[in-house]
Amino acid sequence: MNNNVIDQSKDITILELLDRVLNKGVILTGDLVISVADIDLVYLGVKLMLSSVETMEQLKSGKLINTK
Amino acid sequence: MDKMIYSILSVKKDPEKLDTLLRSLKGIAGADLYAVSSDQISAVVSDINRPDLIANNSNAIDYAGVIETLARKFTLLPMRFGSVMDSIGSINNMLVKNYSEIQNNLQKVENKYEFGLKVFCDPEKLMSELSLESEATNETLQTSYSEMKTSVYREYVNEKLKEHKKEEILLSYVDSVIAELTEFLSQLNTLKKIKKMTSAKNIIDAVFLLKKEDKNELIQAVEDFQSKYPRLNFILTGPWPPYNFVDITIK
Amino acid sequence: MSKNKILCNTGTVDLSIKDISDEFDQIINKEESRLKLSPDNADSGLAKLVLTLVELIRKLVEKQAMRRVDGGSLTDDEIERLGETLMKLEMKMEELKKYFNLTDRDLNINLGPLGDLM
Repeated sequence: MNNNVIDQSKDITILELLDRVLNKGVILTGDLVISVADIDLVYLGVKLMLSSVETMEQLKSGKLINTK
Repeated sequence: MDKMIYSILSVKKDPEKLDTLLRSLKGIAGADLYAVSSDQISAVVSDINRPDLIANNSNAIDYAGVIETLARKFTLLPMRFGSVMDSIGSINNMLVKNYSEIQNNLQKVENKYEFGLKVFCDPEKLMSELSLESEATNETLQTSYSEMKTSVYREYVNEKLKEHKKEEILLSYVDSVIAELTEFLSQLNTLKKIKKMTSAKNIIDAVFLLKKEDKNELIQAVEDFQSKYPRLNFILTGPWPPYNFVDITIK
Repeated sequence: MSKNKILCNTGTVDLSIKDISDEFDQIINKEESRLKLSPDNADSGLAKLVLTLVELIRKLVEKQAMRRVDGGSLTDDEIERLGETLMKLEMKMEELKKYFNLTDRDLNINLGPLGDLM
């Protein structure tokens, strides 16, 4: 059981590290990005777009259901 | 050859200290590290061949290792893996163009470390506990059933409504845990970013930026907090370089 | 670099690394993701993007609708028609997912609880 705890710690540390170094940190735009990161940028763009307040305002206005 | 940037750091009056340190380290694919400087800031760089630029575990860990070692001696902004530019000239231009934003961020993170806190639950157990507490929910549902005549569509709505109510209950529980956590940490002067419910089991995903001296206070606070919520798991990690607190995009 | 960054790891929930790494599967298994966006199968890559968006909007619409039902401001007829629309919408999405061979996991953008987006 001791072994499991130690291994898990190492795994967790590595996962936390990978998340930071691959997903966070300062981003350079307009320059060379590795192909793997291209996918990040596509989804990054989508996430930014979807979080925009304007999009949500339309849903909030309650005009979803045609009551007539 | 392309240049891989590891981090941007604040050098102030001691560029030799940086050079000495860089000489003792290696970057990805065993490349030498060197600094590209502009006034009081330096980018730490290594040459890299495109084929070597693969985001596998080993490269990512090496990259992070360089940043970690630098962060022990210098205030820095960590770059994301894959930050590559084509020449020293471009790097220099980039530093000049973004100088003040970089400086502002360096100031923000000076003498501070990042810590991550993830809180996990057992969703089924948690849901059944919370549902038991919320008797109002059960009443409302029974009313819905008895007053309406059923049809396929109405049943569909009822099912979705049930799910929706469950989510609301969970969400309000998570909000209350976060409110308490925030209260608990209010004495520590810390920047925080908190995400909720990022997966079925992970109800809180938070990062904190605080002074190095406050580390033990944070650990104590989390341990105290854990004892108030014995059925949740708290995983605190750190100290990390400030990956989550440098949200600038550099052109 | 220190191999262990854990300062506190306590609690009674049984966790596997998969539970902790749920988010990371998408990072670490990027090879699969990459294949879906290559020029050869641009169609399914694009489909994935479009369907992800559509699915998100569908979920938001559903959420908003449930809030209104819960709030008690809709008539029986309105609820009936709402149910019909939502159900057909969900069925259509299932068809599209099957057609493009995409799972829920493929279409997952995690923005946190949808309630917070509204």
